[in-house]
Amino acid sequence: MATTIKTRNGFVIVITLIISIMMMLLPLPDFARFFRPEWVVMTLIYWAMALPHRVSIGVAWCTGFIMDVTMGGMLGVMAFSYALAIYLIARFHLQLRQYPLWQQALTILSVVFLVEFIDVAVARTTLRWESWMPVLTSTLLWPLMYAVLRKIRRTFQVT
Amino acid sequence: MLLALVASILVFFLDTRLDYFKPVRSALSTAVYPMQAAASLPTDLTDWVNDFFQDRKQLREKITAMEANNMLQSIRLQKLQSLERENMRLKELLGSSFRLQERVQVAELLTIDLDPFSQQVVIDKGENYGVYVGQPVLDATGVMGQVTETSEVSSRVVLLTDPSHSIPVQINRNGLRAVVTGRGLGEYLQMDFLPHNADVREGDLLVTSGLGGRFPVGYPVGKVVSVEFPQGKPFADIKVEPAAKLSTSREVMLVLPGEKIQTERVPTKQADVESSKAEIEHGDDN
Repeated sequence: MATTIKTRNGFVIVITLIISIMMMLLPLPDFARFFRPEWVVMTLIYWAMALPHRVSIGVAWCTGFIMDVTMGGMLGVMAFSYALAIYLIARFHLQLRQYPLWQQALTILSVVFLVEFIDVAVARTTLRWESWMPVLTSTLLWPLMYAVLRKIRRTFQVT
Repeated sequence: MLLALVASILVFFLDTRLDYFKPVRSALSTAVYPMQAAASLPTDLTDWVNDFFQDRKQLREKITAMEANNMLQSIRLQKLQSLERENMRLKELLGSSFRLQERVQVAELLTIDLDPFSQQVVIDKGENYGVYVGQPVLDATGVMGQVTETSEVSSRVVLLTDPSHSIPVQINRNGLRAVVTGRGLGEYLQMDFLPHNADVREGDLLVTSGLGGRFPVGYPVGKVVSVEFPQGKPFADIKVEPAAKLSTSREVMLVLPGEKIQTERVPTKQADVESSKAEIEHGDDN
């Protein structure tokens, strides 16, 4: 992305994204499989909120595309849903930064719900209540994710 | 945002309708393979450590058990070999051709979790080993599924339990032919389109019928666990338990093409019945 602002340490963003994709792939015991939070969406949301000039719709779309390939679903589904989610976050990032954490978590709830909804509406053949579990776990884990990523951003002084 | 929307719809359309993205997908799959491999590393490592620290006694017991098993199998094999030869002679007498034994190649599953709602696994052999789309995949106890997508170093296998996967079978007991389809979540398959008077019983073994030319003949697919005849429905409701250990196998076998069963790329998503028709016609041409 062409930008006039001088930027630094962009590789940290890429690394966090790669790690989050790998966390989406890590094998979990059977009972926990359906509760896997949407790590990648959460990482993208954090960066879009903190550094909207670095991570925006383009990055989200590409990440979603990679996820589509990795997961072997229909190409373009996740790309689109991620881009839409990040569009909403980038649009309201100034308000979101002011919110207390629990209110941010509620925003995450709605955005992750949107991502899951697109996935279910377009790509799934079976609909079960477990489909919505990632929404819940993502919301609950947001404060932790936020804290970790902020720590990373400050340590490496990513701007 | 508009750009993303347009791009998504374009990609979506090109991928599902025109199959335009196969090379791109294959190349990108190769690119993400290191990531997948890295994600499977922790589990592999724990397995390895467990193996390493197994004590001597346990190992010895294991070896003894395996040797006994091996002995048993080879005795059975002797009998089978003579039977096979006899079978071949009889078939020659009848004037029909006999299919030679299929050759197989061993591949290993990557221990990663994909979307829990679609029944797919990734294996560690790809085009570099000659894996092709539509290749049948077996494990030690039965049919597992077939390859749907290949890249340079890995390929994706859709399991029998996937709702978009069907396999032509016949009942070992009486030769009745049918189609078995996956049901998504859960470990059961269903047997479709059999009328109420069909001769199916609990405990019947289903083997591949070889119709469709994709799966080799005679490999176990599953066992009938329940047969019900719901009132007011045209077909029987038959549940099948897969013979392969779909969730626990680590090693799988890829069946290498025999004489000239070179399968063209046929749509893998829909029921095998359709593709089987196409292939039978195709076969007639040759």
